Amino acid sequence: MSRDKASPGVSQSLLFSIPVAMVVLRAGLCPGLSEDMIQLLSANGIRTVVDFVSSDLEDVAQKCSLSYKALVAVRRVLLAQFSAFPANGADLYEELKSSTAILPTGSPSLDQLLDSGLYTGEVTELMGAPGTGKTQLCLGIAASVSLGLKQHVLFLDSTGGFTASRLYQMLQAQTEDEEEQLEALQRVRVERVFNIYEVLRALQELRDRLSQQVVSSMGPLKVVVLDSVSAVIYPLLGGRQSEGLALMMQLSRELKTLAREFSLAVVVTNQVTRDSSTGPLKPALGRSWSFVPSTRVLLESKEATREKCSTQRAASLAKSPRQPTGIQVELDIGNGDVLDPSLVTPTQGL
Amino acid sequence: MADAFGGAESGTQLLARLEGRSSLKNLEPCLFAEEGSPVHGDVIEFHGPEGTGKTEMLYHLIARCIIPKAEGGLEVEVMFVDTDYHFDMLRLVTILENRLAQGTEEMIKQCLGRLFLVSCSSSTQLLLTLYSLENLFCAHPSLCVLLLDSLSAFYWIDRSNGGESLTLQEMNLKKCANFLEKLVTQHHLILFATTQTLMQKSANSAESFLPLKLPHETDTDYRPYLCKSWQQMVTHRMFFSKQCNSANSKAFTVVSCHRKRNQIVKRSFSVAECGVQF
Repeated sequence: MSRDKASPGVSQSLLFSIPVAMVVLRAGLCPGLSEDMIQLLSANGIRTVVDFVSSDLEDVAQKCSLSYKALVAVRRVLLAQFSAFPANGADLYEELKSSTAILPTGSPSLDQLLDSGLYTGEVTELMGAPGTGKTQLCLGIAASVSLGLKQHVLFLDSTGGFTASRLYQMLQAQTEDEEEQLEALQRVRVERVFNIYEVLRALQELRDRLSQQVVSSMGPLKVVVLDSVSAVIYPLLGGRQSEGLALMMQLSRELKTLAREFSLAVVVTNQVTRDSSTGPLKPALGRSWSFVPSTRVLLESKEATREKCSTQRAASLAKSPRQPTGIQVELDIGNGDVLDPSLVTPTQGL
Repeated sequence: MADAFGGAESGTQLLARLEGRSSLKNLEPCLFAEEGSPVHGDVIEFHGPEGTGKTEMLYHLIARCIIPKAEGGLEVEVMFVDTDYHFDMLRLVTILENRLAQGTEEMIKQCLGRLFLVSCSSSTQLLLTLYSLENLFCAHPSLCVLLLDSLSAFYWIDRSNGGESLTLQEMNLKKCANFLEKLVTQHHLILFATTQTLMQKSANSAESFLPLKLPHETDTDYRPYLCKSWQQMVTHRMFFSKQCNSANSKAFTVVSCHRKRNQIVKRSFSVAECGVQF
């Protein structure tokens, strides 16, 4: 359903932060906009698209001695080119019905928490203290999607926590067929990203590939994992606050638009903090980030088990667009919870 | 037909719009302190932290609007501007299914036909989109409700792009607010916009919105940070919060304030499969 986002001048170039307000009028930007016209407009203080569209055209026609009709025509074309196009609810619903999928995570109790699995078109956040199993769950998702659904996964690793051997172990537990295991491994693409700019670049490259529909090693992609988002954002916060926050919001936009436009399930992992020593756990990265994911799951170690190498965890639903919050399930982040692949079926279309 | 610059409407269009307008009094009486609200020209702000039910309330309003009169709705058209990529169509459909007596596909699609959606990726695109929506409002007289989720989505990005100058930082939002005001008055719309609580409540709130801070009202975490143009055009401000001490995790509160008349009303609601329930 992606509406044409117009010429490169308008789409926010994430790496170079060109302020979009500065889309300057130039000859050939749209039909009817000649060099002479631009000179006359510029002499009267109208230099950008926004200036032009927001001015009183009768006034402009008088001051610049330009044809009123010509100005109106240019205005119409500029608006059509640079503004977003409204869609009708019924059409959008039709599109979503066929493009939305619910992806099993490989852990049936987690699926239960998420109302059948990861929904494409959304950002899901897994938050928890270190060692609570966020990376393990991400690997489990990668295994389930690559083996069970035969779809591709992009794993952006910012902590160095991704281990191919662990992923392979999970795949081996699900199937004994070596060829299937290798094929599944090939569907998981890992990129090590160590700062926000590398994440943004990786996402931009992904967008370019998906836009051009290049069917290469990047086959039908369904999941993008970013483990972890706090690792790349933390260095930006503090100091010149608003720049760091602006970058964080740009990242969140890019993740959400990718999820929406290409029907992907985006999974991010995050740390937790508390307001006070007795307060409830909340996601790190502050208030502005808290609005970003649609679904949020909190992972905690179970206090009851005093065993040193326990793989038992408690997962609770902290935010969801479709389920009441507060539901809690038990997870085993070892191999115990990984499901027989024959039972893993996608719920495509609704 | 109205000419393309928002000039005078024809008589029939005005009548059609006024007819649509009068029925909006029943949109959601629980949200407003005074009777007979909302009326055309009202600008209502939903403010609150994450997870407090603002978006759910918008879905509730959409459902109230697009459901046909035969089923208890208002049968008017709604424009939803999504700046957060937050809009969940499937959730809206679930709400509709639960509210319609016959939740058939056809009925739902008929209702959804009264909903228009547009997503904006930057404050400039929001401004330009609002300009281009003007024609849509002219062409659809029964389009009288405008929902915007959320107005604060570009706050940090605009602040960073504006550099040191506050004027530059706020410029786009100021223009959006001014143009929204123009749209609302010229086309007799009602505007509901959400703003997120992005900052901590300041200790010395000299700009405290509520003139009398009653003890139980101190949980309104409001610190105005959006431009003055927006703050001045708001007629009703509603603060959303979640009741933490309640055993029922679905209990939410909305405190509704009429800016000029200083009337305050506090209501509780919960969110179920069928959406918001007072």
